[in-house]
Amino acid sequence: MSATRIHVGAAPPRLEAYADFFDGEMARPRRAAISIEEAANGGATLIVRPPEAAPWRWPLDTLRRVPGQARRHPLALTSTVNPLARLYVGDAETAAILASRARRLARSVPVPGRWRLLTWAAAAVFSVLLILFILVPLLADRLALYLPPAGERALGETTISQIRGALGDELGAPLPLCDAPEGRRALDRIVERISLDSDLPYPVTVSVLDDEMVNAFALPGGQVAIFRGMIEAARTPEQVAAVLAHELAHVDARDPTRAALRTAGSVGILGLLLGDFAGGAVVLFLTEQLIEARYSQAIEAAADDFALRLLAERALPPAALGEIFERLRAEYGEAEGVASRFGSHPATARRVEEAKAAQEALAIAPRPLLSGSDWRALRRICTP
Amino acid sequence: MSAPGLGVEFVGRRPALFWLTLRLSLLTILTLGLYRFWMKTRLRRWYWSAVRIGGLPVEYTGEALEKLLGFLIAVVFLAFYIGVVNLLLMFLSFSLFNGAVAAYALSFVGVLPVLFYARYRARRYVLGRTRWRGIRLGMAPGAWGYAWRALLHWTLTLLSLGLLWPRMTFWLEKYRTDRTYFGSLALIQGGRWTMLYRAARHVFIGLALAVAGGGALITLAEGMLLPFGVGAAGVLLAGGLLWTIVGIVHYRVSAFRLLTNAKRLEGGGGFSSHARTGRVLAIYVWGYLLAFLLLLIVLLPGALVVLGLLAAVVVELPRDAEELLLLADTPLWLQVLIGALLYFSFFVVLGVLRQVFVTMPLVRHYTQTLRITGPMALDGARQRHADRFSEAEGFAEALDVGAAF
Repeated sequence: MSATRIHVGAAPPRLEAYADFFDGEMARPRRAAISIEEAANGGATLIVRPPEAAPWRWPLDTLRRVPGQARRHPLALTSTVNPLARLYVGDAETAAILASRARRLARSVPVPGRWRLLTWAAAAVFSVLLILFILVPLLADRLALYLPPAGERALGETTISQIRGALGDELGAPLPLCDAPEGRRALDRIVERISLDSDLPYPVTVSVLDDEMVNAFALPGGQVAIFRGMIEAARTPEQVAAVLAHELAHVDARDPTRAALRTAGSVGILGLLLGDFAGGAVVLFLTEQLIEARYSQAIEAAADDFALRLLAERALPPAALGEIFERLRAEYGEAEGVASRFGSHPATARRVEEAKAAQEALAIAPRPLLSGSDWRALRRICTP
Repeated sequence: MSAPGLGVEFVGRRPALFWLTLRLSLLTILTLGLYRFWMKTRLRRWYWSAVRIGGLPVEYTGEALEKLLGFLIAVVFLAFYIGVVNLLLMFLSFSLFNGAVAAYALSFVGVLPVLFYARYRARRYVLGRTRWRGIRLGMAPGAWGYAWRALLHWTLTLLSLGLLWPRMTFWLEKYRTDRTYFGSLALIQGGRWTMLYRAARHVFIGLALAVAGGGALITLAEGMLLPFGVGAAGVLLAGGLLWTIVGIVHYRVSAFRLLTNAKRLEGGGGFSSHARTGRVLAIYVWGYLLAFLLLLIVLLPGALVVLGLLAAVVVELPRDAEELLLLADTPLWLQVLIGALLYFSFFVVLGVLRQVFVTMPLVRHYTQTLRITGPMALDGARQRHADRFSEAEGFAEALDVGAAF
């Protein structure tokens, strides 16, 4: 006869055995007699009789195997009736009979309050998002106002060396700066032409980074960096001036200082969430954040406005700003690099039109920016 | 064995652990790490139930979901701390010192007490989820008390150039042990801290040799004459460092044995451990050797393909190597996919092999060399209350100071 089948009509296998029983109250081991009591309605109950104590009655359907055991022997049992109690069945035949008759053995003992746990989990995720996207930015914006100029400069220098380090070669040498003297002179001429006349407490520094990335960015403390790729992508010096004017607008508004402080707060949190407490991924992410620093639509629009006014004021064609972004968009697509950072297309185009109109109204004819040889020198600034 | 008391056996088998760890690791990677809470829980259940004290398995009753929740709660606190406090520190550091160094230093010092706090809480959580004979183990609250004591002990140890290390080991272990319970029975750490000095002597000898070697090298570099050459000084330095490493392992094993033997259970009863340095060292050396060897065998074919691809891309090839160039023409996403697959399989396979060849043998050695003396005292234990705390070992998890499994 088989212990794995339930016979209809015939008597089920008898069970008279002993097992180690713990009632979940006392540590003293007790050898209990166990047997199965058949009920008239077909249900069956395991009777556990510890010596000199009242019997414990566990309906077979309430029996559960203690999960995750390294070995099947002895069979470790509990019951949903007394989840703290344990029954260790050492005898293989007895274990087989119990395994065949208790049909819910593999089910898990219900964990109380799963929904409460899930609610807490949702609350936790919400709080982290709150800290990451509201609290840290808010605090960073307030603190940026109080950062002294020397500190701001130091922050900018730290960040640009981090960026150069992260974009450097595999051997750890930082990304080189381009400083060919003639190209530098041409660049300085552009920077001088569009220099800010606001009362920034530090000088503005423009550096060229030797990488083909078509991008430019501003950092705290008056640091502006433009990649070689951007100079190569520009058709005219006026277009380079337009890109720089946009970044200068960020410098003037101290947007990068706020962004850098935000990053200081949020990078640690992200590292924490990704379980990468001080790993390389965070550094890469930080770099990405700073270069691609996506300011809000309003801030970008303000920077565009500022740049257009600055260009018009210095007798440079404001249209150059529209042209370079048009060109980048056509060549690299909407989502790529710098093109994606500026206000929506129609808005920019409209502002370009407005600036042009303003310029015409002022009746200032654009004056040329660089001579042909200077422009060629600027384009070769990375080839000393 | 005729020695009185309860013997401890370890009945886990390597193949079962291998397949279990492999399955759990793969799931962890497929869920971007989310499954790691379930993985740790499953592994603990396995290990705990493989330990048989007096023939009866120990039981781990922790739940993965509560671990996940604990992690999330810890993340909220730490997100606040790391986000807001670090931002403030960064601001102050740049305002006052024009640099980030002060911020990093302060931020590190600030997180130290949380690390010790997390260690204690993690231990309390694990003990609170451990049962034997149906009776819970447990630990009384006291994580902040542990944190400041640990900070003080570390400061003293560093100031004394390591001479007070055994003192720290003893008092921190005593703090934890004296708060540990089996049901209603308290555990007591006996002995004195000076008993650990003999065990630490090899660390000091090794360090002394290394310092002598390093000093000799510097002296020689400055052109001063010594009765021996650079080679001898180098050997002295390297030998001293190796001696120190072996000495540290010896210290940890011996300290465990000495401290365990000096632990007593309320109402009589105690422990006797026979853990041996030689065995532990052998497990480390042979285990890692075997793990890396097998890793190499498993991953070599894949690594060769990737190296081939890289070589084909990087090296300029002669005209007749066009077939290879075809290989290099495989789309970027495929290359990335193969690369990522290799990268992850490296860690999965290494993790699994380490579990099977290092962690398990270590656990087996430590448990099998343990006996409980005077076990009658255990019979007197009554059940203790469930230790419900919502953040589980979340802080340890988030700060990565948890146990190996």
